Amino acid sequence: MDDVLAVDAVGLTKRYGSLTAVDAITLKVARGEVYGVLGPNGAGKTTFLRMLFGLIRPDAGSIRLFGQSRDEVGTRVLDHVAGFIESPKFYPYLSARRNLAGLARLDGLSGRGAAHRIEEVLEVVDLRDRADDRVGGFSFGMRQRLGVAASLLRDPQLLVLDEPANGLDPAGMRDMRALVKRLAASGLTVLLSSHDMLEVEEICDNVTIMRSGSVVYHGSIADLRERAPAQGHSLSTDDDERAHALAATMPDVSVVRGAEGGLVVTGAQADIDRYVLAVVTAGIGLRSLGIDETPLESLFFLLTERTTEVTT
Amino acid sequence: MLRSNLTRTILSLAVVAVVVAALFVVQHRSGGSSITEARLERSLPTTFSHLYLQQADLLGRTGLTMKSLDARADCDKGGPTVANSGPGADWICLMTWNDPDVPLPDGSGKFELNVHSNDCYTAGGPSKLVGLVTIVDRRGREVPNPVFEFDGCFDPNGDDTPTGVTIVPPPVTAPTSADAR
Amino acid sequence: MTTQSTPTHADAAPVVGHITAGRPGVLGVFAWEVTKLAARARARWTLLVCLAAPVVLVVVLKGQQRPPKDSLFGRYIHESGWALPLLILGFAAQWVLPLLTALVAGDIFANEDQHGTWKTVLTRSASRAQLFWAKTLTAMAFALVVLVVLAASTMLSSVLIVGHQELVGLSGQLVPSATAARLVLASWATAAPPLLAFTALAILLSVRSRSPAVGIAAPVVIGMVMQLVGSLGGIEALRPLLLTTPFEAWHGLLVEHRFYGPLVSGAITSAVWCIVALTLAFTSLHRRDITEG
Repeated sequence: MDDVLAVDAVGLTKRYGSLTAVDAITLKVARGEVYGVLGPNGAGKTTFLRMLFGLIRPDAGSIRLFGQSRDEVGTRVLDHVAGFIESPKFYPYLSARRNLAGLARLDGLSGRGAAHRIEEVLEVVDLRDRADDRVGGFSFGMRQRLGVAASLLRDPQLLVLDEPANGLDPAGMRDMRALVKRLAASGLTVLLSSHDMLEVEEICDNVTIMRSGSVVYHGSIADLRERAPAQGHSLSTDDDERAHALAATMPDVSVVRGAEGGLVVTGAQADIDRYVLAVVTAGIGLRSLGIDETPLESLFFLLTERTTEVTT
Repeated sequence: MLRSNLTRTILSLAVVAVVVAALFVVQHRSGGSSITEARLERSLPTTFSHLYLQQADLLGRTGLTMKSLDARADCDKGGPTVANSGPGADWICLMTWNDPDVPLPDGSGKFELNVHSNDCYTAGGPSKLVGLVTIVDRRGREVPNPVFEFDGCFDPNGDDTPTGVTIVPPPVTAPTSADAR
Repeated sequence: MTTQSTPTHADAAPVVGHITAGRPGVLGVFAWEVTKLAARARARWTLLVCLAAPVVLVVVLKGQQRPPKDSLFGRYIHESGWALPLLILGFAAQWVLPLLTALVAGDIFANEDQHGTWKTVLTRSASRAQLFWAKTLTAMAFALVVLVVLAASTMLSSVLIVGHQELVGLSGQLVPSATAARLVLASWATAAPPLLAFTALAILLSVRSRSPAVGIAAPVVIGMVMQLVGSLGGIEALRPLLLTTPFEAWHGLLVEHRFYGPLVSGAITSAVWCIVALTLAFTSLHRRDITEG
């Protein structure tokens, strides 16, 4: 069983009418691995994860989890799998503890064993003090942590986390990342989906990068680093439109629109210098130029946004 | 998503319902209603007799039985041009019964029936023969008259062979001011 | 269920426990659904209304100078305490019973959509089929509890307030008090099959619409339309197909020579509605892609 893959997805495809949300994705996660699925919003990560959990039926392809497929064993396919997709949801009119007790029942757990485990997982996510409060009154971050607790309750071997730090304030984000790191270090197989290269880079061994439903990179973080271009620069001008258009005439630099406005310029230092000069010569006012992102982030943007318009 | 889903469900349900209903109606057209002359003619006298005996009991009268009353009915819906089946407030039943103390001057009493589609009916008796809405019982109390107006139900699958009862209606006389309501 | 320990790393962090997910039974899932239902104010209020409303209704009707003669047994409400429960049964079947069951059945599936919790429950060890049957069982059980509470409260309050005199039956016959008690009880019991069929209908609408409002309101509207169609002349051939017809099958128990034909055909009609609605609902839930939440 040790050489059996935790996740073995082959050719997974999901279409909604004319839109192909996930296009023939193949993804393999070995046991004990900490694996990242990276991509901007709308890349198809969530659809992929929903297929993994059987919430969505794929139009083509197959998924095996620890060697088992849903067609053969039904819900047993999830026996060693837990996690959440998008923000975790609970019954707002029940307390955190009762929510967990209910989910434990759906796992076939009840009685003292379940009660003991519930206390353990509440402790792990630091929610014991609020365990008897209704979830309806919880903050976003607390719900996110409760989502992790609910997943750990099943004592999974594979933990699937979809954007666990999404929507959290900086402190919450830091805590969540520390928690994910701890979980990853505990020997669990972790499948982490994120739109944030930094989050994935820190803890993942291997990564799949998705764009518009397709895989654009697939391999180890180490390999990815080697492919990474020079440092990305953020550029702000008084006419980003023209500055962006100008880049089309210069094949050596890549200029894309940044997620938070402005432009992201990547390329060799000399090429960037020439580009900036060209911008100024063209009469475009230069407002700021700074080192913006890690090389991996730059590569990520290159892979996922280069030829598409960024929508924010 | 929600809307189209729901619209589809409602539309498909409606289509199925209409088709099934249409098939059913076509198939059962010949069968017709469970509300028939024969069933009313069997049910009404029974119900009336039971209640008539209760009225007699309230009035302190003795000696009447279901058998001695021997109530019979001849029912008709909406006159000669209308088929004698189906619900409606236009059922008329002529009834005869034997009560030595209350003779039937016209030879019968006319009951107006409102028959509902659920095989139950509300019948109103002729007050000249059965009394007004309330009566004074033997202890001098004013109580509801059980036969002034009453409800009854019959078995929709019950005996439907003609009863053979024919009661000749009284000759039509010019209405007098006393008859007019 | 299964609490076998699995070998863990010697240096395992505390996050790794020693429980493996087991197999929940439908009863386990049912217990969870009941817990959720019991925590909801709507369910508690519904039962409270079923308990209290008949008492109020009996007191109000008892005070009426003119009894409601339009409905069966309405004219006898001052004469016998057994007439009132039958009057109320006839009235409740028109739209009250469909509403009471739809309050829970119309919500029990759609409420997972409302809270976005389908993904939460479907990523555990319970299958869609188990969740479907547990929820269906819960809604059906609630419907029966509602019926029992309503019947008990109605019978008890009218016997205590009006008394337990003889009852005039639907053939005009006098029914002794003890027999009347049994017949009234049996009459209320005959409302169970159509009530369960309405529950199934509410479940179907709840699954398909994914909206509690539709799940609750639509069965009531459908019930009223059926009531109307059933009362029209000329299309009586449709009556056996309608879900409101079995609600009147108890009439056969209250005549002198009891007849059971409508009870049998009513039970069959209810069963067919039930099976069709539940099959459609199950298929819909089974095939559905959970993309929201």
